[in-house]
Amino acid sequence: MINKYLTIFKISWQEGLVYRLNFILWRVRTILQLLLVYFIWWTVFQSQTQIFGYTQSSILTYILVSAIIRAVVLSSRATDVSNQINDGSVVNFLIKPLGFISYYFSRDLADKLLNILFVILEVSLIIVLLKPPIFLQTNPNTLILFTLAAILGILTYFCIGFVISLTAFWVENSWGPLFLMFIFLEGFGGGLFPIDILPRGVFNFLMLTPFPYLIYFPAKIYLGHFSANEIFLYFSILIFWVITLWFLMRWMVNMGLRHYTAVGH
Amino acid sequence: MVNPVISVKNLKKYYSVHQKEPGLLGSIKSLFKRKYIVVKAVDGVSFKIDEGELVGFIGPNGAGKTTTLKVLSGLLYPTSGEARVLGFEPFKRQPDFQKKISLVMGQKNQLWWDLPAWETFILNKEIYEILQKRFEETVKQLARMLDVEDILKVQVRKLSLGQRMKCELIAALLHQPQVLFLDEPTIGLDVVAQKTMRDFIKEYNERFNATIVLTSHYMGDVKELCKRVIIINEGKILYDGLLTEIVEKFAPYKIIKADFEKMVDKDKLIGFGEIKNYDGLYVEIQLSKEEVAKKAAKLLSSFAVADLTIEDPAIEDIIRQVFKKGTV
Ligand SMILES: Nc1ncnc2c1ncn2[C@@H]1O[C@H](COP(=O)(O)OP(=O)(O)OP(=O)(O)O)[C@@H](O)[C@H]1O
Ligand SMILES: [Mg+2]
Repeated sequence: MINKYLTIFKISWQEGLVYRLNFILWRVRTILQLLLVYFIWWTVFQSQTQIFGYTQSSILTYILVSAIIRAVVLSSRATDVSNQINDGSVVNFLIKPLGFISYYFSRDLADKLLNILFVILEVSLIIVLLKPPIFLQTNPNTLILFTLAAILGILTYFCIGFVISLTAFWVENSWGPLFLMFIFLEGFGGGLFPIDILPRGVFNFLMLTPFPYLIYFPAKIYLGHFSANEIFLYFSILIFWVITLWFLMRWMVNMGLRHYTAVGH
Repeated sequence: MVNPVISVKNLKKYYSVHQKEPGLLGSIKSLFKRKYIVVKAVDGVSFKIDEGELVGFIGPNGAGKTTTLKVLSGLLYPTSGEARVLGFEPFKRQPDFQKKISLVMGQKNQLWWDLPAWETFILNKEIYEILQKRFEETVKQLARMLDVEDILKVQVRKLSLGQRMKCELIAALLHQPQVLFLDEPTIGLDVVAQKTMRDFIKEYNERFNATIVLTSHYMGDVKELCKRVIIINEGKILYDGLLTEIVEKFAPYKIIKADFEKMVDKDKLIGFGEIKNYDGLYVEIQLSKEEVAKKAAKLLSSFAVADLTIEDPAIEDIIRQVFKKGTV
């Protein structure tokens, strides 16, 4: 049983090796993006010591930690799903004793493992070269919560990506919704800036949506910025989303395959 | 009494196709009012297939062959009627069912394009939970039968069409399915590869007593492989029975082909039968079975004949006739 998924893991990596140039270019892009955000904040703090309640140390730590989280949470095969639905290769799942969701989740995890190796290397390099005044979280409880939040974030992202991609079962082009999702993620996920620098009302509203839980939430847990009450509240919302999205995804897979086998392809 | 492996009763599969008028205006119109037409791809089909049978499923383009195979392998939900394969209802797609069947479509592929076929085999091994030892034996055996032992480790995108098709077949057969649906498995292959494929299909059928349903537009495939054929057109079965019987039923005539040593006047050949082909030194005459012996003897005694053969009409011609008439 577990072998099935290990093999999917391995074969995904092998395929990745074929496209190693793409992979490297993509890593270069992420590093440049990271450095850009890093230096913007670094410059801002040249003239001030505190902005929006952040010190230079906490904001730079936020940026680096969020880079690591992004590599784990955001890498997703969502677009593959809609491509496979459109080009008909989804038939391979219908004919074999192989779960649609578990297959993609395995492939996704394979990507994540590779990404996290690289991003840790990259961030370490930045730390060694630029010597930013980063904050090292040492409280084990906080680190456990951080990990938990990141795992739930992985699930949330996976479900959102899947739910959107699965619309390919009904509409010919799910590129639009996917694009919108990426915008939302970049803007409200917290990858570019911590979203609590937004007005309070906007912030509170965003915290009801799943987006800030992908990057912002775990990063802020790492920094130790939440009170116990906030942790409890936000985890409740996050878990609500994970469960809702999970069932929505399952339902859409079933409905989608049913639709697919009814209308033909 | 043994249950048939495949049993289909009054099976129907209708597609509803959205019709769009051409052009931008048509696109906009179709946003508001969609016109649908119903395509009766399979329209009330019934048949039974027993274990170990190798049945040819033939019919012109759009007849409903692929649709039927898709229903039987669980890719399509039937509109109505019943389809059972190995006692399972295919559309439920139970793993126990999926492990016992396979579908190969000449037009579709499952191999990972960027990796050697071998990697897809390994993945299938895990998906179908095949034991290591049996996996190794099966791959070896199949690769030898298809003569592709030395290309299993080559990136699939670098293989020729024929080599790829053979690897597709191996990937589809690793779990030794008892029921095999082959949709145009020889499409686009050269004669040599076609022959290898045919021999292989035959051998697989015999060695594993596998039940095979095969579609093909090459009558050669059908003639060589299938004792029984099901002819389908516009979603309806026109004929279901032995291939040899269709010849008798549809073509109660024979063809005499004769080469002459000297030019023979066409007029002199009148009375032998219907002349299908004539060029002075060669003639093809179609005539009834009863007359064939007598007329052949007469031909031999009347002219200087260099060579003479008596043949059944080409199966292609008969099938074409069946399609044209619409019934048997
Ligand atoms: N997904 C689909 N949606 C709508 N109509 C379809 C679909 N698939 C097939 N059809 C229609 O159903 C009919 C039967 O198609 P099918 O593919 O079963 O034919 P076939 O016998 O396999 O033909 P061929 O020899 O060309 O492969 C055709 O009229 C085809 O246009
Ligand atoms: Mg077809």
